[in-house]
Amino acid sequence: MKSSTAHKVFGLLFGAGFGFVLAAANLHEYDTIHKMLRLEEFDVFLLMGGAIGTSLPLLWWLERRRTRTVLGGPLLLSRSKPRREHVIGGALFGIGWAVSGTCPAPALVMLVSGAGLAAVTIIGLFVGLNLRDAQVRRADGAATAADGEHRDITRVP
Amino acid sequence: MLSTTFAAVLPDRLPWYFAGPALGLLVVGFFVIANQPLGATGAYVETYKTVTRAPGAVSWRMFYFLGIPIGGLVGVLLKEDGIVRRAGYDALRNELSLGTTAIIVLVGAVVMGYGARMAGGCTSGHGICGTAQRSPASWVATCTFMGAAVLTTLVIRVISGGAI
Repeated sequence: MKSSTAHKVFGLLFGAGFGFVLAAANLHEYDTIHKMLRLEEFDVFLLMGGAIGTSLPLLWWLERRRTRTVLGGPLLLSRSKPRREHVIGGALFGIGWAVSGTCPAPALVMLVSGAGLAAVTIIGLFVGLNLRDAQVRRADGAATAADGEHRDITRVP
Repeated sequence: MLSTTFAAVLPDRLPWYFAGPALGLLVVGFFVIANQPLGATGAYVETYKTVTRAPGAVSWRMFYFLGIPIGGLVGVLLKEDGIVRRAGYDALRNELSLGTTAIIVLVGAVVMGYGARMAGGCTSGHGICGTAQRSPASWVATCTFMGAAVLTTLVIRVISGGAI
């Protein structure tokens, strides 16, 4: 897929919107995530529920209406079957998330909020992602189905 | 402590019933415009590929990646505390030295990155964008990482005698 100026502009804007909400909801703070995972505060669970509860029905409705998207043709939702990589990878992600107390997007906000150790987290994330990519390349394997990540919609029939 | 703020417009913590639907609307909005989900793991991957000039890199994802800290900075500057220069990870720092904390955080982040790439997504990708598309793989991955994270936190709590 080619990267048009429109994609770059909207990418930047939506990234900024996403980062703004993370900062506003304090999701970049280690304490927020730590208290959630200690089951002392349930705000973040409710926040995720609110995000899914808003987007799931809307996307369902837009899919049924066969909506055409502005830049990418007919709306296409991906629904892959679960494989063992989703479970093993998910478990490893969960363990790492609990230890480093932030996930990939909030780590970027944590850094700009002034927390120096977030730089260590971000470097570690890049290392981990590349370790997995290198392993898949060595095995001539395919990347795991990633329904929430970038997809090449030109290749989908 | 050095602190920089622009204007204390935002509350210390925007309530979940505003922040959750706001994230949901951003996800829907990006589908309607670009037909793409907003997973952060993929943004890291494409940013790395773009910077290293790897073949097939989706360069506009780097703009999405850069947008996150830019928007985050705006949000932080609109709070009373603003930017506070610190190490971070207070709960760990109260118990451990800076060096030990950094090593633990680094190992955790490597495991997190490896796991996210193996699972095909993280909290934003599977946890919100995938579940919202009603993807069975995303629901399985999300339930797994939520469970694993709560369990790991419990283990850390027991090992540290309740301190962390």
